[in-house]
Amino acid sequence: MASSSQFKQLEKLGNGTYATVYKGLNKTTGVYVALKEVKLDSEEGTPSTAVREISLMKELKHENIVRLYDVIHTENKLTLVFEFMDNDLKKYMDSRIVGNTPYGFEMSLVKYFEWQLLQGVAFCHENRILHRDLKPQNLLINNKGQLKLGDFGLARAFGIPVNTFSSEVVTLWYRAPDVLMGSRTYSTSIDIWSCGCILAEMITGRPLFPGTNDEEQLKLIFETMGTPSERTWPGISNLPKYNAQHPQHLPKDLGALLQSQTREKMDLALIDLLYGLLQLNPDRRLSAKQALNHPWFAEYYQ
Amino acid sequence: MTAKVKEEPIGDKPVSSSLRITDDDLYRHSTQYRNWSFTPERLDQIRTEVNASAGSKAEKTLKQFLESHPELSREEEEAVASKAVPVTTHEELLLVNYFARMIISFAGKMNLPTEVAATAVAFFRRFFLSNSVMDIPPKEVFHTTLFFACKTENYFIGVESFAKKAKTTTDAILKHEFKLLESLNFTLMNHHPYKALHGFFLDIQNVLSGRVDMKYMGQVYTNCKKSISDALLTDAVYFYTPPQITLAILLMEDEALMMRYMQLKFGLQPDNGDGSGQSSQDSEQVSSNGINASKLLEVIKSCRSVINNKIIPAKDDAVKITAKIHYCQNPMAVIDRLKRQRESSSIASTPQPVETDSKRQKT
Repeated sequence: MASSSQFKQLEKLGNGTYATVYKGLNKTTGVYVALKEVKLDSEEGTPSTAVREISLMKELKHENIVRLYDVIHTENKLTLVFEFMDNDLKKYMDSRIVGNTPYGFEMSLVKYFEWQLLQGVAFCHENRILHRDLKPQNLLINNKGQLKLGDFGLARAFGIPVNTFSSEVVTLWYRAPDVLMGSRTYSTSIDIWSCGCILAEMITGRPLFPGTNDEEQLKLIFETMGTPSERTWPGISNLPKYNAQHPQHLPKDLGALLQSQTREKMDLALIDLLYGLLQLNPDRRLSAKQALNHPWFAEYYQ
Repeated sequence: MTAKVKEEPIGDKPVSSSLRITDDDLYRHSTQYRNWSFTPERLDQIRTEVNASAGSKAEKTLKQFLESHPELSREEEEAVASKAVPVTTHEELLLVNYFARMIISFAGKMNLPTEVAATAVAFFRRFFLSNSVMDIPPKEVFHTTLFFACKTENYFIGVESFAKKAKTTTDAILKHEFKLLESLNFTLMNHHPYKALHGFFLDIQNVLSGRVDMKYMGQVYTNCKKSISDALLTDAVYFYTPPQITLAILLMEDEALMMRYMQLKFGLQPDNGDGSGQSSQDSEQVSSNGINASKLLEVIKSCRSVINNKIIPAKDDAVKITAKIHYCQNPMAVIDRLKRQRESSSIASTPQPVETDSKRQKT
């Protein structure tokens, strides 16, 4: 059992959904860790968000999911000791902006990151866990090119009714259209949409659908992917926030759109995969397993 | 295919590790399997060790007590030696089971969901695989586990209103919360047989479609759900997977129904007429779903006998064991009791002090 004296607290790394994260040094082993500090609310004891994250992280031992090493208790706080990662995908993308122009990654790196992202997501889904908040900030990377899913503060085991979060807290850019329209029955497909948005963003260096509110978010999605209807998406009109008066857009050529924002040649398999991940109708989206078996990844599974 | 982390449990494998039902690989990844499944021998060993370590601590305290009280008479020393003794492994088990059983009825009174009660029972019993009832009285973690189970099962209830409903204080509930978290080794995810029951219930109707009465099946389901809660109080949870426990319970509920289901589902050979339902020639027969039916039946039957072996401690036992712990921790209480006995027998020969004394130790 680790004690808090075993770790030297270094610089602040950021704020998680319910805690502050610091870089730490394990004084005995010389290994860096991420220390996630949770203030203990004397009123309720251990916060249920922390309980939930601990519970899920203990089940998820996978090379593409950040490891929870230990939990330390001091009088007024709980510290979750995580595997340390050098960077996150958001910061890494920001570092590649030259002047005002964002640049995507080399296609081989895009593929390697997306492959690892889908591996981590597939493992969560196999274990009946939804991440629900996949975005570049939550994808941790290191200088070996490894990518791991982090921050399970909003993750849930399947089958529990979920209240929609307030839109200003959680970024909308990676949120699936069915969720935006108020679907309560969403499942693994919610994470797959995010994987599609992140894939496009890695190619161009720009967020695919950078909306500022629910309505604009849907508008941006429909402008590119086309406005769905009862014909293309049976059952859509039953969604609580479905708007039948939504301006009708024809789907754009996603491949051409992204190609115009990157110098590297995008092959057809990649475009096909993007369409598989970014299906408006959640039932038609690929599963993580199917995505991993997509021809674009052939070099990894052959 | 994804690259799965194939991890074998560090400790011992449960008795039925070679058997596969469904989602078995998935279960093998779970902390419930990796951390909380044992062989019967290993489980015995764990309990013996916990008891021995707390017992030797208690004996040391007793020795110190006797050394620091040289004024005690021979009679008093003998009383201490015979009354203030550590509880045995079996007594620990009885006391833990007594309270674990109470958690279920208490959760029922509080209208908490079945899964919350089941998780609380699991947490409570696991807590006493690393702590002795001599170190932490079960009643001190009783409410803690139930409240904490609400948190892990996403059943939101404020500590304040929980305390009010449970007629205790928030401090008492939260006092050992971290100790509990630590004793559970931070593994909080539970898989109970209720989900498996639902799955088998649907599958039985499908496999035996038209051959079972739906109303009757509803009754079977309700009875089985109750029996599962009972089974969660036995060591079956440490030796068998949730679907195995479910099948054992279904077998206990209606053996004929289960045998028919297993014949059709897993290709179990029909009864030879000897009533065992097992045929000797086909021990290696494997059905199309990769399951060795007769081996499965064997596992389920052994699971059934573990479930049948349940211990239901009487309240009297719990009171006696609690009193024993009290005397062991407070040897002076033995002396006081002796003195009171002496006084009362010299005044009058009414036997009441002995009784009141044991009643004071009520849980």
